[in-house]
Amino acid sequence: MKQIEREIKKGIKIHLIKNEKFKTNLVAVFLSMPITRENVTKNSLLSAVLRRGSMNMQTSEEINKNLEEMYGASFDNGLDKIGDNDILKFYMETINDNFIPQNGENMLKSSIEKLLEIIFNPLIIEGKFKEEYIEQEKENIKRIIEGKTDNKARFAFDRCIEEMYKNKPYGLYKYGYIEDLEQINSQNLYEYYKDMISKCKIDIFVSGEINEDTLNIIEENKNIKQLNDRNSQIILDIEKKEKIQEKEIVEQMDVTQGKIVIGLDFNLNDENQKYDVLLYNAILGGTASSKMFQEVREKASLAYTASSSYIKYKSNIFIRCGIEIKNYEKAKEIIRKQLIDMENGKFTDNDIQNAKKSIISSIKCIDDEQDTEIMYYFGQEFSKTKLPIDEYIKKVQNISKENIINVAKLMQVNTIYFLKNKE
Amino acid sequence: MQIIENSKVKEKLYIEKLDNGLTIMIIPKKGIQKKYIIWGTHYGSNDSKFIVPGDKQETEVPKGVAHFLEHKMFEQENGINSLDALTALGVEANAYTTNDHTAYLFECTENFYPALDEFMDYVQHPFFTDENVEKEKGIIGQEIMMYDDYPEWKVYLNSLEAMYFEHPVKLDITGTIETISHIDKDILYKCYNTFYNPSNMVMVVCGDFVPEDLLEEIKKRLIDKKSNGEIKRIYPNEKEEIVQEKIEQNMDVSEPLFSIGIKDKEETGKEKVKKHIAIEILLNLLIGKSSKLFQELYNDGILYSIPSLDYEFGTGYAHILVTGQSKYPDEVYKKFKETIKNLKKDGINKEEFERIRKTIYGGYIREFNDPGDIARMFLADYFKGINSFDYIEEIPIVNENYLEQVLNNVFKEEKMILSVIKK
Repeated sequence: MKQIEREIKKGIKIHLIKNEKFKTNLVAVFLSMPITRENVTKNSLLSAVLRRGSMNMQTSEEINKNLEEMYGASFDNGLDKIGDNDILKFYMETINDNFIPQNGENMLKSSIEKLLEIIFNPLIIEGKFKEEYIEQEKENIKRIIEGKTDNKARFAFDRCIEEMYKNKPYGLYKYGYIEDLEQINSQNLYEYYKDMISKCKIDIFVSGEINEDTLNIIEENKNIKQLNDRNSQIILDIEKKEKIQEKEIVEQMDVTQGKIVIGLDFNLNDENQKYDVLLYNAILGGTASSKMFQEVREKASLAYTASSSYIKYKSNIFIRCGIEIKNYEKAKEIIRKQLIDMENGKFTDNDIQNAKKSIISSIKCIDDEQDTEIMYYFGQEFSKTKLPIDEYIKKVQNISKENIINVAKLMQVNTIYFLKNKE
Repeated sequence: MQIIENSKVKEKLYIEKLDNGLTIMIIPKKGIQKKYIIWGTHYGSNDSKFIVPGDKQETEVPKGVAHFLEHKMFEQENGINSLDALTALGVEANAYTTNDHTAYLFECTENFYPALDEFMDYVQHPFFTDENVEKEKGIIGQEIMMYDDYPEWKVYLNSLEAMYFEHPVKLDITGTIETISHIDKDILYKCYNTFYNPSNMVMVVCGDFVPEDLLEEIKKRLIDKKSNGEIKRIYPNEKEEIVQEKIEQNMDVSEPLFSIGIKDKEETGKEKVKKHIAIEILLNLLIGKSSKLFQELYNDGILYSIPSLDYEFGTGYAHILVTGQSKYPDEVYKKFKETIKNLKKDGINKEEFERIRKTIYGGYIREFNDPGDIARMFLADYFKGINSFDYIEEIPIVNENYLEQVLNNVFKEEKMILSVIKK
């Protein structure tokens, strides 16, 4: 047994991953739904309110005391965008029973129960979330939204995405919007919660020392039993990118170093080209031997950070550099040249081999980390593929130079975003 | 090889000191794909004044040399950049500099031994020219400027500024654009020859290895170098008092960042570990997740996430840092001081103490999941004169009496500072 998958109700799936090389067990629950302007802020607030208390652990103090008693089990939750979907993520990690000084405790069972309790049995008083928690968490979300300018490199990246996906789901900020926050109260958020929890796609992962009993524990859990069948509405397709006029946006803030973000669009002709793009990206800016790192940082000495990343679920590549502000034009020029060189096949077989090795090495390490492994299997839910790790490796190995040039020719710059200092 | 086994975390450490003075530590991990090796020299940003073995007078070099050296080590005489060569083998290589050590590392799934050839070759063969040193100043300059945009980094450096009069721990690891301008190839060679001697270095490897075989492979790749004797490091005499209680800087942040510091003195031997554990427990009792103070500050909207709690120490320095974000840093500071006073008065609550102790125990066990985390931990602890297993062994020994003793000796109002970054 390595990985077991079982749909216990329509739209609700349990995934068990047996992995005995860790000191820990990790339980993860993901709630997925299409991201909309209407719901993004509610989800963000909900995520924060749920961790405040449940019917059986009414305060965060109580939750935390419980976790500390479990040898410091860690509970974590957050928000993620996968393509045009909003994901509410909940995690609980405990050390596994072999490392507990007193025997006889079933830590995995209690962590599964505690996590499900927090998500599916929230503290509801007279048909509403607790007023106090709503008010405090609204304030907290507001701060997070206001704080998005604090990390300038991250901000520049978010701004570029926002510009590329203006008025589109993917352009939404995952923590939501202050003006929408004001409309939410303890009652309408509870109404929303009930509706959302009855419709969203639910995936429950357990990684670690699992056995036959683990499945039972989840299936027989009373919070799980009360859930209904549902038709998952998540969005799996990537929209076709239209040819647009390249945009250039320059904004000013209090920064010492300029931040460039360049967003590339492309339309793939078939699914398998995803692997070609993976390789394209590695050669362009994915590793220390990539063109971005070599040409922009090492040869031109223009930057300390220079890289690119591939967003598979949206067919985008984002190039990111931190540069001296006066070198903006020069940096743009060098970056453009790299894109053209890629199209013209100006990269060696060696570059291809290096990129393959680097990608394959990271594929092989997928099951060395519990959360990485969980995200790998969860990602497959969204890409409609079931790809075992060795086949994944084979696909990467079989990519030719021509394949890479072909995807290079599909790339078009959508937006160049530059964050510079105030003059 | 000497074998040290820890029955609680169920891991073994193989350790050997070679004739040339190099210490090698191997932690075998069955079934893990990832292999991780790190080679460190006991030489960090704090070591800018020292006596070269055999010399009579002391040497003083510009701030930032250790970090500069780290950047320059990858360049080889034959024109090859070792970082590229390693990347070409599909391994992920990196390096970093701290206050007390510099480390070179790579991780991989395949090609471990070919990569080991390159790795051990470049660390043992520096190649500095006037030209390559000058070029690096541009890249490091960008790195320095990047940190200038991180308020988290500034609030940290300022807190050290408020605590230390003389000790170099308060200076930026990178040096400044001014100090690095004075670095040349002769300085780099001098520092290299002094500190990159095997007797000043430690290698730690973690992964699926047979330790004895690996040891032989490492020995084969060592060049013939004699142990060069003790390097005398000169640190200024740091006063026990703080410099100033409050320090503030303006930056473009949505909400103030704060760091509360408590200046302490370095301990010796096993006492270091015991004190470290005690301080971790005390910080959690005072302002941890389940503490009354944190709940109160959270409910009042003064803190909205758990502050990070750290204890840092090395030769000639030690301090506690409580770092977070708040609209009212002064309020946090005031309440934190009051809570310390109350804890001194009321004494340690047995139940809370046991709960936190369990949490911290679980935390140490978890550190043993990832080969990279394990290797870095053993290396960093080694340079502080600590065997990482000691933490697990010392936890049960810490008792209430000891905690109260540390509480009274370390958590003193006159040793506390508040660093704030705000708009």
